[in-house]
Amino acid sequence: MTTLIVIDQAPYGSWSGREALDMVFSLAAFDQPAALLFIGAGVNWLRKSQDAGGIGQKTVEKNLAAAPVFGVEQILAEQSACERFRLGEGDRLNGVELIPSVRDALDRFERIVFAG
Amino acid sequence: MSPGLSYTLVITGAPWSSQAPQTALAFAQELIAAGHHIDRVFLYGEGVHLASALSTPPSDEPDWPGQWADFLADNQTPGVACIASALRRGIVDQGEQARYELSANNLRQPYQIAGLGEWVEGNLKSDRVIYFHGSH
Repeated sequence: MTTLIVIDQAPYGSWSGREALDMVFSLAAFDQPAALLFIGAGVNWLRKSQDAGGIGQKTVEKNLAAAPVFGVEQILAEQSACERFRLGEGDRLNGVELIPSVRDALDRFERIVFAG
Repeated sequence: MSPGLSYTLVITGAPWSSQAPQTALAFAQELIAAGHHIDRVFLYGEGVHLASALSTPPSDEPDWPGQWADFLADNQTPGVACIASALRRGIVDQGEQARYELSANNLRQPYQIAGLGEWVEGNLKSDRVIYFHGSH
């Protein structure tokens, strides 16, 4: 049974997104199927060429780019949020599947965890 | 009466900055009263502050960390604080104190510190996994 982790907040403002990502990697490490869904301001996680050095943080882009390598099955993003934040195909990390309806995407998973 | 369900409770909101621990405690008490079983309580993110032995609210205020610890002890329910979340936020047991050569430890009894594997196991074995967040 695939666990879907949902991230709805932009990166860097709090540690909850990073800790949600740790949950995904932990599932994958134990060979449990896992997927990620970014909605609302959370889609900004997917932006290419992030540079968080100015605020003394490491970029989350590398962590996220490693997700497929660690066995995370799917990375989904809310289409309307990507449009709202001007996150076109060339601006996003590769391998992201856009979803027109969050409700329909949530219905595809029996186990869903929202980032704290 | 049908046999109860097994639960893992995940608390990610800290006491005094969120309602999560209080809501989770009320839910846990009702679970036990209704004949269900709690496999474990897993503290993650800001929730690890619930496991600080040093929280000392004024005597005329509710002591949420104390009430939670009493509940865990009374029901022999394992309480686990995620090690990465805990160490970041200064919640340390004797073993981690020694490992990092820290000046003190402060993990409240009966909590233990362990990895996210405990949460993964909850996902696999418990009938329900319920989350108590601080920010949603």
